[in-house]
Amino acid sequence: MESIIVAKDLTKDYGENRGIFGLNFEIKKGEVFGFVGTNGSGKTTTIRHIMGFLKPQKGSITVMGLDAWKDSCEIKKYVEYVPGEIAFPDLVDGTTFLKAQAELLGLENMDYANYLVDKLQLDPSANLKRMSKGMKQKTAIVSAFMADKDILILDEPSTGLDPLMRETFVELLLEEKAKGKTILMSSQSFDELEDVCDRVALIFNGRIIDIANIKEIHNIGYKTYKIEFLDREDYLKFKKLKYEIVRDQEKYSQVTIKIEDKNLNRLFNTLKNYKLKFISEIKYNLEKYFKDVLAREYQKQEKENKLENMSLRKVRKVIKHEHKKVEKKENLEEKNEKFFNKPKVKAEKKENKMHKKEDKQVKKILKKDKKQVEEDKDV
Amino acid sequence: MFSKALFKQSMKANWVKWLSATLSTCIMLAIVIIVLGNLGINNIRDSLKAVFTQADQQSYLKENVLDSYDIYLSSVGLENTLQTMDAGTYQTAYGLIVAPYVDAIDQYRQENDGAEPDETALAEIRASVVETNAPLLSLGGGTIGMSFTLEEAKMFLNELYLTYDQNRFTPDDQLSTNMANLLRTTYLNLIYTNAYAQAQGQQGSTSAQAEYSATKMRELIAGAMDSYQTPEGEFDESLYKADALANITTMMRDVTYYTYYNQYIGLGFSNEDANQKANEYAIAVKVIADTTINTYELWLAELTTDESGAPLELTDEEMQSAITQARDEATASITDQIDSEVAVALEELGNMDIYGLIVGAIFFRIAGLLMPMVFVIMTANSLLAGQVDSGSMAYVLSTPTKRRTVTVTQMTYMIVSLFAMFALLTITSVIAVFISGGNAFAINYSEILLFNLGAFLTMFAFAGFTFMCSALFNRTKYSMGIGGGISIFSLVCTILGLFGSTIVPSAMRINAMNFFNYLSIITLYDTVSIMSGSLSCLWKFGILLLIGIATFIVGIFRFDKKDLPL
Repeated sequence: MESIIVAKDLTKDYGENRGIFGLNFEIKKGEVFGFVGTNGSGKTTTIRHIMGFLKPQKGSITVMGLDAWKDSCEIKKYVEYVPGEIAFPDLVDGTTFLKAQAELLGLENMDYANYLVDKLQLDPSANLKRMSKGMKQKTAIVSAFMADKDILILDEPSTGLDPLMRETFVELLLEEKAKGKTILMSSQSFDELEDVCDRVALIFNGRIIDIANIKEIHNIGYKTYKIEFLDREDYLKFKKLKYEIVRDQEKYSQVTIKIEDKNLNRLFNTLKNYKLKFISEIKYNLEKYFKDVLAREYQKQEKENKLENMSLRKVRKVIKHEHKKVEKKENLEEKNEKFFNKPKVKAEKKENKMHKKEDKQVKKILKKDKKQVEEDKDV
Repeated sequence: MFSKALFKQSMKANWVKWLSATLSTCIMLAIVIIVLGNLGINNIRDSLKAVFTQADQQSYLKENVLDSYDIYLSSVGLENTLQTMDAGTYQTAYGLIVAPYVDAIDQYRQENDGAEPDETALAEIRASVVETNAPLLSLGGGTIGMSFTLEEAKMFLNELYLTYDQNRFTPDDQLSTNMANLLRTTYLNLIYTNAYAQAQGQQGSTSAQAEYSATKMRELIAGAMDSYQTPEGEFDESLYKADALANITTMMRDVTYYTYYNQYIGLGFSNEDANQKANEYAIAVKVIADTTINTYELWLAELTTDESGAPLELTDEEMQSAITQARDEATASITDQIDSEVAVALEELGNMDIYGLIVGAIFFRIAGLLMPMVFVIMTANSLLAGQVDSGSMAYVLSTPTKRRTVTVTQMTYMIVSLFAMFALLTITSVIAVFISGGNAFAINYSEILLFNLGAFLTMFAFAGFTFMCSALFNRTKYSMGIGGGISIFSLVCTILGLFGSTIVPSAMRINAMNFFNYLSIITLYDTVSIMSGSLSCLWKFGILLLIGIATFIVGIFRFDKKDLPL
């Protein structure tokens, strides 16, 4: 299939290890490609290169074979864009804005725009400045989608949308996908990407660490179950059977097993004869996949010690953040407590001081009053 | 290269700013031109000017009085000389002065077979004899007690030959009496001619008036000479001073009365009124004449005699300087009595065009630039840097619109809006000038058009500069801080520089403040040159235009090549 967007060794160094470094990726026609990564990892910078707003320091990026920097105007004939930061031109309301935008696009037929407005339940007559974040996002989406061009570049398009609207938006994206459009979107939400994308790139510190194929993740070929037994005996008996045990928690009579899809029936036949407290599937999804990738990456980087101290610290932080829910939860919680309590202690001390001061002042005033009373008496 | 949609968008975004800047400036301008024009703001200046003119006139009058006084006394001296000269000296004088003319006429007769020369021939002979004889007389006049410069000699000889033609005589026949009469009459004729010329030179005098005052002067001097009686012993001019005072003041009074009476009649006053008014003036002039001569005499006495009243022994030079000083004191006007620097300052104040100062230097260069400048700074920023900073530029650039199209369109909007603003201002100011009296007014139409053109070009330069800053920077704070900051700085420098510029009268001027004018490009908007009608403002306007064009171009090219955080 034809490649629509091709990045070759795309580099933009902002110094201090910020920017993007040697990005390589290809987006095929009709493909939905996702970008995921932490804040400041380089998603927006990459998108700005595609839009021709930034000039690559090294390497190149082409859209439909056209250089994104040199032929940026030509490319815009095929590209529609929802920017990450929503700031509208200085115009009165949404309708005026959409009309102005249509005029710039040379768009005369507003049928599709009206369809989008209905679909997203947008009231475009609202004042642009007074719009909520979600409203602004919807307006931006309409203004981009209404031209109905072949390529969609979306920078975190679902931020600010409520969960229901997010679903509608995903629906809309799937509609566009069905039309055969090529879509590049960045997002913070793994679920959203998993629902829409064919492939997702993980960007980390300006480098693409991994490109995941969603289909492969979904068809991983095995499942993971967590099982807790009511009887200790059953638990011990089950352990003797030849199932692949990933995790064993004796204290609670719990096991986590990994089982190939073809052996599922065997498992459930076995379990018929056991008394279970619960059984739950631990789903394997994009989030988990990338966590694994990140952890591996971290280990690799630490071993090779390729990065400078500064960036290592950053890497550690990210990993800590990723793992805090699972492994270092308690530790972190303790730390957090200490951290959050510190200012509290300080505040308390301050308050005490204030109270003392106030007491002193009150005393002074009282003394003065007494003196005056006495003086008055003397007089 | 141009996007209509974007242009419309810019208009929608900036029309409020444009309207408020335009309206407020138009209102200010109308107020300045109409209201100040009708307030008679130049009244003080006019009255100051009147004081100086009056002082000049008075001092002229006083000089005149003292001149007449001198002539009066020297005429008596001349009469004395004429009466005491011996026959030999007359003989010499005849030989020196008259004989060449008589010879020339004789020669003409011989050449023309005894025919008498007619008027034109006589005039030719006269001219040639004057030409040859004047240098001789100016050199050798001393031998007969007369001294002339070359010019004076020419005038004297011309007059003398004219007089001689009226009453010719031969050298054998009572030469002394005839010569004395000839010289006397010539002298009186000269006095008449001089007085006539002087009177006619004065403003507003008719030839009848000139004739009257010249005749009066001649009568005066003739009277003075007639009154001379052979004194016992040496001639003493002090004996005639009292007569001189009385006669001159009377003559001045008569002449003034005659002049003003005729003027008032000419202006349509009734006989009675004209008589009364002319009388008032005549008496005032008589008093001034009287005072002047008295002051002169008192000063002269004070300077040339000692405490007991005996005359001091003075050299000619000392005597001359005493006379000059006495004359100066007697003719001193109000302006001579104040300190020279103050007098200069006052005179400058009298000549200053307050109206021009307020309209040209203060309104057009400062107040009238402020609102357009605020508009330019804000608009230039919002056209590019503001949209890049907020990110709204992304919507324009995500459509098939080139960056060059964006910058060219925004520049066009900037220039068109400024042009419209100043077109309205020009119309307002032309109407205001028309209401205030058109070209007869302190500022004429061509000046007002140049003022507006200059203001437009100044703002064009600022628009280019702020536009360039807006194109160079991605952040509003830098675009506003540098573009706006430098623009406002220029305006403030112009305000400070005003106190050092030559439009402000020297009494209020601080020369060091002129330094600020070198820091501001508004200095190129040369309103002084416009008001004085010189063309040096035009090349300065050219520079402003070039600055604007250059900065716009730099901005446009730079914007094409830079990274945009959108």
